[in-house]
Amino acid sequence: MIQKKICILGASGVGKTSLIKQYVEGIFSEKYLTSIGVKIDKKIIDSTAQPVQLMIWDIEGIDRYCGFQPKYVRGASGVIIVTDTTRSQSLVEGIEIFKLVKEVADIPCILALNKADLETSWHWSEKELSELKQDFVTCFDTSAKSGQGVEQMFTYMAQILTE
Amino acid sequence: MVTSLFTELGLIDCVIFKHIGAHEFEVIYKADSWFDPLIQGVSAGHNIEIDNNFPFLLDFMQDAIPHWQAKAANVIDSGIWTETIQGHPLRLEAQAINNPPHSYLVVHRLKDKFEKKQQTLQLARELLLSNDQITARHEQLEKRMADLLNSSSAIHTLEQPIIQALEQAEIGVAVLDERLQMLKGNPALQALFSDTSVEIKQPIDRLLLELFKKQYPEYERIFATHSPWSGELCWLNPPEQGKWLKVSIYPIKDGLRHIKNWILSVSDVTQVKFLLKRNEKLSHYDVLTDLPNRQYFWQQLEDRALRGKPFFLLYLDIEKFKRVNELHGHATGDQVLIGLAKRLSSLTRMDDLIARIGGAEFAVVLGLDDLNTQHLHNEYNQCKAFIREVINACSLPFYLESGGRCEIQLNIGATSFPKDSKNIEELIKFADIAVSAAKNSPETHTAFYSQKLVEDALKRVQMENALQTAITDNEFELFFQPIINLSSGQVIKAEALIRWRKIDGALVSPTDFIPLAEQTGLIVPIGKWVINQACKQMKVLSEAGKIIKISVNLSPRQIADRQLFSFIKQSLNKHKVNPCQFEIELTEGVLIDDYDKVQHLLSELRTLGISVAIDDFGTGYSSLAYLQKLAIDHIKIDRSFVMSLTASNQGQDSDSAIVLAVIAMAKSLNVGVIAEGVETDYQKRFLQECNCPSAQGFLFSKPLPIEQFLRLPAQLP
Repeated sequence: MIQKKICILGASGVGKTSLIKQYVEGIFSEKYLTSIGVKIDKKIIDSTAQPVQLMIWDIEGIDRYCGFQPKYVRGASGVIIVTDTTRSQSLVEGIEIFKLVKEVADIPCILALNKADLETSWHWSEKELSELKQDFVTCFDTSAKSGQGVEQMFTYMAQILTE
Repeated sequence: MVTSLFTELGLIDCVIFKHIGAHEFEVIYKADSWFDPLIQGVSAGHNIEIDNNFPFLLDFMQDAIPHWQAKAANVIDSGIWTETIQGHPLRLEAQAINNPPHSYLVVHRLKDKFEKKQQTLQLARELLLSNDQITARHEQLEKRMADLLNSSSAIHTLEQPIIQALEQAEIGVAVLDERLQMLKGNPALQALFSDTSVEIKQPIDRLLLELFKKQYPEYERIFATHSPWSGELCWLNPPEQGKWLKVSIYPIKDGLRHIKNWILSVSDVTQVKFLLKRNEKLSHYDVLTDLPNRQYFWQQLEDRALRGKPFFLLYLDIEKFKRVNELHGHATGDQVLIGLAKRLSSLTRMDDLIARIGGAEFAVVLGLDDLNTQHLHNEYNQCKAFIREVINACSLPFYLESGGRCEIQLNIGATSFPKDSKNIEELIKFADIAVSAAKNSPETHTAFYSQKLVEDALKRVQMENALQTAITDNEFELFFQPIINLSSGQVIKAEALIRWRKIDGALVSPTDFIPLAEQTGLIVPIGKWVINQACKQMKVLSEAGKIIKISVNLSPRQIADRQLFSFIKQSLNKHKVNPCQFEIELTEGVLIDDYDKVQHLLSELRTLGISVAIDDFGTGYSSLAYLQKLAIDHIKIDRSFVMSLTASNQGQDSDSAIVLAVIAMAKSLNVGVIAEGVETDYQKRFLQECNCPSAQGFLFSKPLPIEQFLRLPAQLP
């Protein structure tokens, strides 16, 4: 079976670990527990043309305490950049991370607008968002809490990686 | 290697593998059984292969193998990763080590180290998220309220959209009038103290202003100079726990820069402060720069004052730092702050104290050398030398991780202990006044506190108020100075120049009020008045048969005004004057500062038929590039070059050469030339001989009021 490494990146507190937990284990916890370093989860997807095992790298949030580490993106087939729709700054940081990824790897990036279960309170207008989304292969509104968009996002990633 | 050695080295909780080729290893030491579930049946002497079952370690091999091959002496780390064993996390970190002729892979189990790191980062990140969210909410609200209030015509009543926005806001908001009287408070403001059993006996906006006044010496300056402010206030209520409130104060000004409203926004940050208290370092130090924070700085300052040894208190403010964040993003802004903190730290001595006291504000307590403190001027010289060092060090660009660079400008205010005051609160207030004055000293960016400084600041506020009144009371006049065709003597154009005639009849020179108008933003309404008045007078002139072009000066602030083009168009239409008779004058600096914006504006003006002249040419960047690329019709040779043309140097000095070069260059670019400041017959003759087509100056006529300008002959000698 083919294996594909995908990296989940974003600012701290946007819900990267929660998205993976929801996708792999179907669990969500309200409590925020910061991730340190890297954790790799595996999940087999067989709804694609050929079954694929996703190696999902959950990478510590990038902020003033932890910078972007290009080595973690090495060998990755795709990247999901997660943002939090209740924090405007998380999109600015997400875009910065996107640029850093593009400097080291020419791989598809998906934008996840997470916490869709909460009322959107960032200041980005639809126009600004649609301009920013253009650089990504696609964008998903996700909620690690309700599961909205989570399965679809990972499946979509698997599909484009196996096409 | 023997087990006892590993124990001695503290390496006991690890598994050690010897590298025997490619991804193959021999297990030579295993501390415990925690590694067993990862690879079945591993014990010392066995060989294993790092394969896809260990994706993280397999990835680390890409760094480790070249490291082993290079036989480098240092150790490289993999970074922390987590494996899950029967639902339990196992925190690991690997190292690649060389001990020639062998190479080793050591996998450590992290327990205490991981927990400690996680505890600290958990706390730090919770704080970061809370702070970010609160700051973002404040900024968003201020922007929304400013937009709504600016579009509202009524000053003392609030319109429905504003009330609606207030009701919905999650943070406490009070809209105050220009005299700080509350017009409207929202439910969140009223709910601020609802979790305490204490009865608040005064309106909450009054309580907040009172706390601000008591706790921040900057209070008076903020309201006197109509400046925005944000910070934290502490509300104490013993024996109950008090409250920490994050408060922002934001002035809303109308088109004439009059204060229309103040917005007071407030969030309860007691929880954040509670989290901070759990970690002494976080409660005393700024998490970004690792420098002492405002509260700790204040404590330290009090200790210094008790010791009684003289020192200077310096406030440092990064000019327009908000713009750095807007242009380059907050991550870059953070990098600049960290870089600045490092540069400042490298310049201060062990005994000095340096702190980050606000978003873009730092403070330094500068100790003085004992030997030099006998004389006051020595103290000042020491401080001045330090300030010079700081300004020089900070004028170098900050190179960013992204590869870009960013430059900043510091303003520094200083006050002396005990000379200026022995009272810490007063000293802070003086340093704040000094840094505020430094912002208005564009050459030195520095100011020392003095009584004169206070008087100057007061004069500035009075002048600003008088300027505002001048706009509303119509105290400005427009004068016209003719521009002559040097071959025919014909008046071909006139430059419109503003004059301020005070109520007592005294004329104030533009050099005295234009820089202040530029700094305060009043230049925008004043500039609009000039444009409108120039159009109005053009109509008068053409009705009197004087059909000539009128040129009007535009300042950098006006260029930044998005409504400028439509305003010019409206004014021309309103007074029914031909746009081809209208010219604008810009300085070289404006072109360089905002090239794209200027290019767009000039091409729009060109479509209407408005011409453009570059003023004070030769004093700025004098770039040929923009002359070629932009829609420019004339250049005006700066008066300083023309004034140096004297009979005694007979056109032999460098200024004459510049004048000749500018005329030749303009001719080849097909751009007109006007020589400014012509005062003597010699200068006129020189320019005529050099084929300079036109000129203006006192030799022909000084600037005149419209009535006198109308009487001026069409041709001047």
